[in-house]
Amino acid sequence: MTFHDAAARDFPAFSTDACIKCNVCNTVCPVSRVTDEFPGPKYVGPQAQRFRGPGEGSDAPDHSVDLCSGCGICTRACPAGVLIAETNNRARAGIVEERGSSLRNRLISDTDLLIRLGTPVAPLANIGLKNRLARWFGEKTLGVHRRGPLAPFSRRTFRAWWKREKRPTALEAGSDPSRTVVYFHGCAVNGFEPDLGRDAVEILERNGLTVIVPPQECCGLPFISNGLYPRAREKARRNLESLAQYARAGYRIVGTSTSCTHALKAEYREMLDLADDDATAVADATWDICELLVDLHDRGELDTGFAPIAESIPYHPPCQLKSHGIGLPAMDLFALVPGLRAVDSDHDCCGAAGTYGLKAERWQIAQDVGAPLFAKVRAAKAAGASRAACDSETCRWQIEQSSGVPTVHPVSILAESYRRADEAASEPRRRLV
Amino acid sequence: MPRADVVVIGAGLSGLACAAELAGSGASVFLAAKGMASTHWTHGGLDVAAPDGASTSRDGIARLAGSAGHPYARMSDHVADAVAAHRARLDGTAVAMVGDLDMPLAPIPTALGALRPAAILPMGQGAAVGPWEGQGLLLLGIGHFRDSWVDYAARNLTAGAWPGGPAEIRAVTADLPGLDARNNLNARTLAVLFDDPAWRARALAAMAAVVPPGAWRIGVPAVLGLEAHAEIHAHAQEVLGGAVFEMPSLPPSVPGVRLFDELRRRITAAGGRIQVGFDVVEVERDGRRVRAIHTEAASRTLRLAADTFVLATGGIAGEGIRAHRGRRLEERVFGLPVTAPNDSEWFSDDPMQPHPIESLGIDVDDHLRPIDPTGQPVLENVRVIGSSLAGMRYLEQRCGDGVAITSAHVVARSLAARSAAA
Repeated sequence: MTFHDAAARDFPAFSTDACIKCNVCNTVCPVSRVTDEFPGPKYVGPQAQRFRGPGEGSDAPDHSVDLCSGCGICTRACPAGVLIAETNNRARAGIVEERGSSLRNRLISDTDLLIRLGTPVAPLANIGLKNRLARWFGEKTLGVHRRGPLAPFSRRTFRAWWKREKRPTALEAGSDPSRTVVYFHGCAVNGFEPDLGRDAVEILERNGLTVIVPPQECCGLPFISNGLYPRAREKARRNLESLAQYARAGYRIVGTSTSCTHALKAEYREMLDLADDDATAVADATWDICELLVDLHDRGELDTGFAPIAESIPYHPPCQLKSHGIGLPAMDLFALVPGLRAVDSDHDCCGAAGTYGLKAERWQIAQDVGAPLFAKVRAAKAAGASRAACDSETCRWQIEQSSGVPTVHPVSILAESYRRADEAASEPRRRLV
Repeated sequence: MPRADVVVIGAGLSGLACAAELAGSGASVFLAAKGMASTHWTHGGLDVAAPDGASTSRDGIARLAGSAGHPYARMSDHVADAVAAHRARLDGTAVAMVGDLDMPLAPIPTALGALRPAAILPMGQGAAVGPWEGQGLLLLGIGHFRDSWVDYAARNLTAGAWPGGPAEIRAVTADLPGLDARNNLNARTLAVLFDDPAWRARALAAMAAVVPPGAWRIGVPAVLGLEAHAEIHAHAQEVLGGAVFEMPSLPPSVPGVRLFDELRRRITAAGGRIQVGFDVVEVERDGRRVRAIHTEAASRTLRLAADTFVLATGGIAGEGIRAHRGRRLEERVFGLPVTAPNDSEWFSDDPMQPHPIESLGIDVDDHLRPIDPTGQPVLENVRVIGSSLAGMRYLEQRCGDGVAITSAHVVARSLAARSAAA
């Protein structure tokens, strides 16, 4: 950020005055790469912004800003420090505020509700998700594309497992902020990928950290992406209420979704205007899990007893991770596993962008954006890779469904490596018996 | 982040070239930049040295090396090596260069119909140079593409003097399939269209249909593909029946995007890291050494420790150096001393004339370390490259690309030699 930094933080649209019309953003936008319907970041961002009133949605020149997938690549490429994606997102929220939102968008954004409805009937719901007729019906009535990447519901939520195992949901007496972390699992781990949550906890505990899981809800990012700011603020406030006490007391909040953790770090303040002390404390305390593990390693505190995994794996760093500004911590960790070679996908965006790739009218765009990535992943599989890796859930589902190659979170690979090490270590003992 | 051997700051030509060369020599490199820049605005060729009166780039280098304080005064012996290294890096790719330091600087037409001297160009622009020998210049525009105006360019070229130029200058415009129905058209969207073989075949046929009989060299907007440029360029020459050269349009410059992408791929393929979008916000020092820099992040900062830090953030235009109220100059990463003309002499009266302020920058020693007014290095493990360097007026002297790759090469080679010795 280089222009009126403080002011731009409070009001991203203010930064658009710094636009020098150089068009760099138009050369990196993955959406305008594949569709003529989207005029590109420069037009819907700094140019259209001049026509928007104080409500940001009022007098919007047209609806084309709604084609922005929110990947944020334009903001990072801009040499003048214009917060293009942030401006676009707020403009969409302005339009939604004035003109309302579809039932579809309100529904697919409400992941906590979907999980509450889906988990108890997971086997049935999952048949529905795989049933072509049901999906066709869903597309015709709701506008959720029949081939949109949806993960199957877990039969038991992560939180239910946590409760059953009687694991801590609050600090215990004598907790040490340097040895205890708060796990923000997000809605994806809770309702769709609880195994990832278990992998994460296993790794954190192996490295001497006590993990607590206090009450929490979906971070609200799906609402933010769909311009439903009031609903997003409800989620954000409840999360901040639960998490701020830990942040203030010096505990780190760690997440396995680079999308959720980016919402805690940035979107709450930049999009939702929640710039109070709670939001700042939580933002400063939030870590992506790979970022945290690299930090442990930098301090010499990471257990590096990784067993070899002799494989070359394609790794796609998601857009949200790149917006963290923390480098590529997963690549640093992969380098610690003997035999493992992670290959950066060198591709801008998988296309999914949260709920974007689910929408009937956006599905093809999302597929076209990700197509070169899917081809690379398929080629890697043909060359012997058993899976791909990626840090954000909807990107994983998109890559897995569109390439046909299983796609996992980086920590799942690390957890596997640790487990192999344990197995190798325990074998001699077994032989002794 | 595990520490890197070298952190390069800036993603323009000098930063990319330096990081590519270092990564290629086995060093661990992290390139951090606050945004993308100069490659996307410029023509993608190599302006090495073309001050007024120079006959070749080599002659231009000698003339500039003779003026005290010019970066070439320190580095002129290394330019040929640097150009060779840069060309070797790009050989076999779609951004391979043609021409050399001893080729006569030839006037080539710009998108607005001016002439600029050039010798080393990307393969796709190479046919713009060389004697015309009775051939005509056909500017072949693309209908509905508003960043290229061939009639305007032809009028300007015809009105101006062009000694030894084409026998005839003519402009024609082709309507390419489907463009009339498109909502948005810029150089990048056109280049993406050209990458599609089916569309390309129809587009080139439509272009061939407007080529009048005669012996032409054909200038087209620089939109002949991003991924498949080499193939498309060859295809275009075959279909249009003559030598075809790209003319970079208004920004974004597709040849520059290709160059950026190729160098980016080089760096990451060799294990280097690139992070774009985050400004340097803090520097950790230890006396005259920099221990680490911190880049801005979504929360906290990212600490990047290294043995050496290469400053490639540019001058005023690249915002590596900022002028504040009261004409205070600030080098934005390390706060290095900035050398500038007297503040009463920053600007010329005529806005279209060169402005002395262009020459401001960082003074360096032979190792390209920043120095203070007494000549002492300010920071021992910082090197300064590209248009951050003081003493050149790259618009007027047309030496920006040459200084960029030469300073990048000098630094990369000396660091590689040092790590080999260690």
